[in-house]
Amino acid sequence: MGSSPESFRFSEDLAPWAQGGVLILLLLTVALLALEARAHDRQRLLVFVSGVCAALLLCFAVLRPTLLTAKGNEVSGMAVALVDGSHRLEMPGEGARTRADSAAEAVKLLQSHWKNARLKTRTFDSGLVPKDEEGKHIDSSSDLLQALRELGAGAEERPQAIVVLSDGRLTRPGEVTDDGWEESVRQAAGGVPVHTVLLAQTAPADRSIRKVGLTGSAIAHQPLTLKLEIGCHPVESCAEVEVVVRELLEGQEPVELVRGTTRGDDGVAELELAVTLERAGGRVIEVSLVSDEADDVPENDVRIIPVQVRRDRLRMLHVAGQPTYDVRALRMFLKSDESIDLVSFFILRTMNDQVGASADELALIPFPVDELFDQHLKSFDAVILQDIDASTYGLDRYFPSIRSYVLEGGGLILVGGQTGFSSGGYAGSEVGEILPVELPLAGELTTRSSFTPDYTSAGRVAPLLRSLRTTLGEELPEMSGANILGRARPSAVVLWEHPTLGLPGQSGDERMPVLALGEVGDGRTIAISVDSTHQLRFGAIGAATGGRAYADLWSGLLGWLMRDPRYEGAQTRLEGVCIAGRDQVILVEPAPPDDVETKVTLEKLGTQASEARPLERIAPSETGAPRYLVRGLRSGGYAARVQLGKAPPTRSVFTCEEGGEAWSDSRPDPTRLARIAETTGGAAVRLDTISKLPEPTSTFVTARRTSTPVLPPWLWASLAAVFMSVHWILRRASGYA
Amino acid sequence: MTCASRRAWLIGAASVSAGALWPKSAAAFGEEGAFHARVLSLGKAERADDLSAARRWAWELTRRSSAPGRLAAELVRPESSDLLEEPFTVWAGDADPGKLSSQALRGLRQYLRLGGVLVVDERSKTKENVTFSEGVKRELKRVLPESGIVELPRQHVVFKSYYILDQPMGRRPGPDHIEAIVRGGMAQVLFLNHDLLGALARQGDNWAHPMEVNSAAAREQAVRFAVNLAMYVLCSDYKDDQVHAPFLMRRRLKKR
Repeated sequence: MGSSPESFRFSEDLAPWAQGGVLILLLLTVALLALEARAHDRQRLLVFVSGVCAALLLCFAVLRPTLLTAKGNEVSGMAVALVDGSHRLEMPGEGARTRADSAAEAVKLLQSHWKNARLKTRTFDSGLVPKDEEGKHIDSSSDLLQALRELGAGAEERPQAIVVLSDGRLTRPGEVTDDGWEESVRQAAGGVPVHTVLLAQTAPADRSIRKVGLTGSAIAHQPLTLKLEIGCHPVESCAEVEVVVRELLEGQEPVELVRGTTRGDDGVAELELAVTLERAGGRVIEVSLVSDEADDVPENDVRIIPVQVRRDRLRMLHVAGQPTYDVRALRMFLKSDESIDLVSFFILRTMNDQVGASADELALIPFPVDELFDQHLKSFDAVILQDIDASTYGLDRYFPSIRSYVLEGGGLILVGGQTGFSSGGYAGSEVGEILPVELPLAGELTTRSSFTPDYTSAGRVAPLLRSLRTTLGEELPEMSGANILGRARPSAVVLWEHPTLGLPGQSGDERMPVLALGEVGDGRTIAISVDSTHQLRFGAIGAATGGRAYADLWSGLLGWLMRDPRYEGAQTRLEGVCIAGRDQVILVEPAPPDDVETKVTLEKLGTQASEARPLERIAPSETGAPRYLVRGLRSGGYAARVQLGKAPPTRSVFTCEEGGEAWSDSRPDPTRLARIAETTGGAAVRLDTISKLPEPTSTFVTARRTSTPVLPPWLWASLAAVFMSVHWILRRASGYA
Repeated sequence: MTCASRRAWLIGAASVSAGALWPKSAAAFGEEGAFHARVLSLGKAERADDLSAARRWAWELTRRSSAPGRLAAELVRPESSDLLEEPFTVWAGDADPGKLSSQALRGLRQYLRLGGVLVVDERSKTKENVTFSEGVKRELKRVLPESGIVELPRQHVVFKSYYILDQPMGRRPGPDHIEAIVRGGMAQVLFLNHDLLGALARQGDNWAHPMEVNSAAAREQAVRFAVNLAMYVLCSDYKDDQVHAPFLMRRRLKKR
């Protein structure tokens, strides 16, 4: 431990103004003694000196001077190396190394170059990464401004210098602009010089999708402009660029939406493509560059974008085989909802009916089955087929189209009646395959006995029936009969079942479904085998509830069909950003009760249907939300389903990319790093010139300070008394007054 | 051919034609989803053939269209909970129904608020005598004091819900328009001054009442109007949907 130079101070228990007063008195005394000495001849020097000494000692007795001594260490300068820890640093750097490799080397070089400095290394991505989190997760962003602010706000020692190790393509600060750019950097640095080390000097040969912009809101059935910016290095590779946009759907190959070509002169090509997404909710589109040649960074030739598509209005097609009070009730309910754009078609006349009038006297038009199911089917969000004989009215020709429509995200409800389900030719058809229940091909196809359906255990907890159960409790109206339905498919959920009838042709205890829901591909289907739900609007129940129960039932069914969050049990979301090849955590929110079994499955979009794999549950989040681990996801779009107990599952989509936003522009940005250094008073260097960085200077850090009185106060007072006595004797002897 | 044999042949022919014309049964599992013309009864003397007219109404509907109809006619009292079982009722009469009881008013109010449709059929001998209609209007003012009575436009869907018609028709021509109480965009109470049930009523194998304008065409128009009313009850404003507009416009022009 070394010592600092010593110094004198007066006693600290006297206020500065008192110390000043004492000194002024001393000066006055000396001045008076001098004037007096000039007026006398005898021993005037002795009198003056003894008087001054007495006054001075008296002054010291009051001020009590002390000797200060500080002890401490010479401490070497402290600096922080801020390493860009974003996913972008895994891109190719110099030679065969990645930029992250260069960062590791830069840290070693700094440590060896700054032998006398204390160098701390921290990582940043969307902010400063806590020490115990470093290397455990990865982020696609690199927010230097946030990291600098967090560093300055921390309780640790303020560094003398900060060294940023990056390729310069930071999320923040963005590209250099005139408008407040420097001020924001300066403020974040807080007066500490920021040196920068460029980790990659040369841009790889790369053609990439740099920006994917969505203009306006994504609304189902309405064109959405996709603004693309393609960057090329070398610039010649932008001579002709072809882009294809596809939608990734569940259980089937990707569907091409649009394709376009463009060219760029300065290494940048721009392209605007109009894309129409027919289905609302979470959709996934893939934008990819069409090229025969692979470049140095093929990962950024593809972007996989999640798009939340909302509805302006719900477009619904309601087709009924014959007008009944059940059809009336459903139509009036649908028409009463301002958000529904309803297209109805009811079969009012069959060829056997004796209308007794010419065609011109009738207000009837031919059933536009071709127009509806061939040309316009995709424009509807949901289709309701109510008690319609598919064979008689030529609907069966369009079963494959209806199946594709549902697989691609459409909603389908089959409502029962004498010509519905198996009686209407749906059994064994493409539509039969996508229903949540199997349909019998032979035997009794309907039951005419009245019955009151029972809620299943799933029906009692299903959010879509919550309102109905709040209104009616366990009560349901008596139904006049039902179509015979078979076993529910494995992924389906039965909400109502027949109180006595079992499955057709089965002898087990399992009872016949009456209301069942299912998910198939990207779409959802509902089977309701009765034609008497209108009794929830009219009749005894309708009268008791003011018809509200009917709206409760059908709002729930349509809401679930259209993935309205109000009718979903829970939602899933990613913890962080998904980067291909890494482990990922999926959260279930809100946290379900502890006694409810929660199951999460995952399915890749854009591939043929495969068995969804259940995920491994890990420790919950701090808020208690269940967390599920997914290991090493490949690049693509995914559908995650969460099922709480026996309730219908909820589906949400997310994307996982190899490059993603972080890799969209592979060029280093030395200009930005140089401006950061210049703005903050630092130096900008490259990996090979890192030795030019000025080492932080050492500082003396006081460890202990001692204060020692020059003489004890009583000695000052005694000496003052002695000199005052001598002075008095001399004055008397010399004839002073 | 003898008289007996001719009678036998006529009976046989009538049977065949009746078989061909007999409507199919209601197509719902039960029958409660099918059109059912119930007759509102105040417990006073009802005209005996009102029930036959209601049956014929359903019969004509099922014969002429795909809509199922329930042939079992029934009387329903306004204070009974049965009124709320189905959304259609016809109230016919030729004299002031008098002041309704509070239970009857409450029943009708609940029925209309649930969306039920009520056809008020004036069956007095002359169109000038509208004491029944006036009495019903007075009582319905007590049921729905906030709702006024309006004249339905000629383009109203009730004139095109199945047949393209120019005006209402019953046993007698009556006015060329319909008055109605419209609630939530739907004509829920329709006032007819045409004795529609009189045109539909049967007595044995014959029509119970001659048409005031003695013409088979007039009765056909009355039946068509009854079918349109039934379709309006079953499909509400379906024929007002945009998909039908160009077709109906062309046919109306062609008809003229």
